[in-house]
Amino acid sequence: MFEAFIDGLLMILTWKALLYLFLGILIGYAVGILPGLGGGTTLALMLPFIYKMTPGEAMAFLLGMHSVVQTAGDITSILFGIPGEATTVAMIVDGYPMSKRGEAGRALGAGLSASLIGVIIGALVLLFSVPIVRPLVLSLGSPEMLMVIILGLTCISSLSGKGRRALLLGLLSAGFGFMCSLVGQDRQAGILRFTFGQLYLWNGLPLVPVMVGFFAIPEMVDLAVRGTSIAGKLPEGKLTKGVWDGVKDTIKHFWMCVRCSFIGVAIGILPGLGGGVAQWLAYAHAVQSAKTDEERAGFGKGDVRGVIGPGASTGKEGGALVPTVAFGIPGSSAMAILLGAFMILGIVPGPDMLTKYLPVTFSMVWILVIANIVTVLISIPIINHMARLTTVRGSIMIAFILLLCFIGAYCENNHIGDVIVMLLFGFIGYLMVLYDFPRPPFILAFILGKMTETYYYISTTRYGFDWIYRPKVIFIFALAVLAGAYPFLKGKLRSVVGGNR
Amino acid sequence: MKKWPFLLALVLFFPGGISAAPYYEGKVIKIVVGYKPGGGYDRMARLVAKHLPKHIPGKPSVVIENMEGASSIIAANYVYNIAKPDGLTIGTFNRALPFAQLTNQAGVKFNILKYAWIGSTAVEGTVFAIRTDLPYKTVDDLLKVKTPLMIGCTGATDISGQFPTLLKEYIGLNLKLITYPSSADIMLAIERREVDGRAGSYSSLKPFIDRGLVKPFIRGRVPEKGTEHLPVNEDLTSDKKGKAVMFMFSAADLIGRPFVCPPNTPEDKMKILSEAFAKMAKDPQMLEDARKAQMEVQYTSGREILKVINTVFNQPKEIIAEFSKHVSF
Repeated sequence: MFEAFIDGLLMILTWKALLYLFLGILIGYAVGILPGLGGGTTLALMLPFIYKMTPGEAMAFLLGMHSVVQTAGDITSILFGIPGEATTVAMIVDGYPMSKRGEAGRALGAGLSASLIGVIIGALVLLFSVPIVRPLVLSLGSPEMLMVIILGLTCISSLSGKGRRALLLGLLSAGFGFMCSLVGQDRQAGILRFTFGQLYLWNGLPLVPVMVGFFAIPEMVDLAVRGTSIAGKLPEGKLTKGVWDGVKDTIKHFWMCVRCSFIGVAIGILPGLGGGVAQWLAYAHAVQSAKTDEERAGFGKGDVRGVIGPGASTGKEGGALVPTVAFGIPGSSAMAILLGAFMILGIVPGPDMLTKYLPVTFSMVWILVIANIVTVLISIPIINHMARLTTVRGSIMIAFILLLCFIGAYCENNHIGDVIVMLLFGFIGYLMVLYDFPRPPFILAFILGKMTETYYYISTTRYGFDWIYRPKVIFIFALAVLAGAYPFLKGKLRSVVGGNR
Repeated sequence: MKKWPFLLALVLFFPGGISAAPYYEGKVIKIVVGYKPGGGYDRMARLVAKHLPKHIPGKPSVVIENMEGASSIIAANYVYNIAKPDGLTIGTFNRALPFAQLTNQAGVKFNILKYAWIGSTAVEGTVFAIRTDLPYKTVDDLLKVKTPLMIGCTGATDISGQFPTLLKEYIGLNLKLITYPSSADIMLAIERREVDGRAGSYSSLKPFIDRGLVKPFIRGRVPEKGTEHLPVNEDLTSDKKGKAVMFMFSAADLIGRPFVCPPNTPEDKMKILSEAFAKMAKDPQMLEDARKAQMEVQYTSGREILKVINTVFNQPKEIIAEFSKHVSF
């Protein structure tokens, strides 16, 4: 196996493969930063170029591109409060307030270094899971998936904020998210729900326009009202010095960063959950790490841990490759395209990838790691300049950012409905900010809502109600109950300890 | 000296008169795909985009636009109602769209017979496949099954759900349908033995058949290389209505990967495009790329496809009623 590991490295250590890797990184970087272009579409565009490449070169090119998209998307989320990718929304919650406080450099430094750790951990998992990957993935059936989704939903309690009133508002917000997730043609019987005679709504509300509207529009209104630049009126010196502080923050919270990476990996391995979920769960975990109420209240207002957590969730990239490689079954649309690329290269994904083509599999591990190290190295010197964008006058930035929002939303389906959805959810998002409704629970419920329904339906049609008695189901459900009750238990525990004092 | 004003006039009034540039020179053809990047329709469209230009005089550029939604009805409506009939927009959509029109699906704003049809670049035969580790060898074995076979599908409104429904209804197979979010999820469920099999296009199942995960048992009327020997669903039922419904259903297989232009696209442009598609389908480079991507290319002309759709639409009323009972959209 060690030999294959070295062979994998040698496959990409040719000058041509490295050249393609850098080209891929460059394209991925641009795609990640611009909110309109998605990773999937770009991969599909690049597919025709790989026919004449060797497997090592093509993998370096495509995977290099794919693996930096999220890292670069985080930059847009932090600087402008608009998601660079659908998977980088959670980064906004604490990253953008840090920018507003003039700490864009620190936030970027923390986010990028955390995402580097995430990728490396993801790659290590991909490496070490080779012998056990098949039994691992196969041991999780639909009922177990349902329970994992429910475990994810319990994060609503920690995403809602502190206190009874906040929890109530959070649950209301999540309920609304659930309702929005039900829009569209129901999968089981083909019934149309809340579509109001619009074909556009058959596929449900599109993720990107909803998120862009929900987070970016209220911020733009706020920026316009403040009448300053994003970072307000701050001395410039502070702004550009923070990068190393951010890196130090990541080192300080290293173990939390590692835990968040593993959350990312786990979500990545489970096919069908998707990258968006990974960042939110990692964020929720970061929030849970708050030790006191004051610390807890700081989240959402620019706590650096709220940047490190989502950043580290890039571990999912390594995880997501596992089902694609080991079963030939893609977990996302980007992975589906990558699978198409495998076939063009004459590699049949499936069990063979873990034996006959092991060096190819290992070369992917290497590409993930090298691409992200390069990305971070490229970024660190230019972050300072990027951070300065937050000092540009608001009246100029608003026009530019809104343009990006419109393009980003429209590119989802090339349909005018995307723009309308974005504006509508911008309005709803603004009202929610105005009346103190937390927005993250909405997004989590919106992403997980339809999946909850689907997997509940599958579990029940397949197994009747017997699935409830499966040991793994009971175990994960117990975890979910524990996670849901955790904030209250912690409060109780603290008051008991405090009472003794 | 007297001649030069005449020459000037000639040059001024007939700038292109001397060497007529081909219509497509310097133009961009847009292929509107009704699905996300990465799926079968998208991959075929991108293959076409790569190889079509060299067969059209003037070598235009070909670009892809993904317009996802409503099982590609949105894209079909766009090509029918909004795109200009100038030969610069081509649409590719769900091969089962004729059924959407036939069963009066809400939201359909096209008449499938009135598109300017270029044709189809592939035949997509449907097969019904079961896990190889199950003890069944023949269709007779399947008919004797006591506890229902669990069949994964992606919805009651597509081929993966409708093909097994017809088998259940008219052949009497003991099946239970379970709906998954995508066919990738079904394959994973088959791997972990949560479900026993599925129906789908042969091309999409082929990698899993080759690897020995599933084995095909029954096919629809339209064969593909490798499925000729399988029993055909129509032959397994004695129900006359059932036979007719299954025949109608097989029309989608022949339509495979359809390519159309907006209605009333001028004849001359359609001739160029149809000829280019026919030539492209025989182009060795195209076939080599397709083979690498594990796709089969087979051109069926627009005229032939229209003939098939017409036969489907001209079935007796009671057969169409029976068809609508099982095939919704």
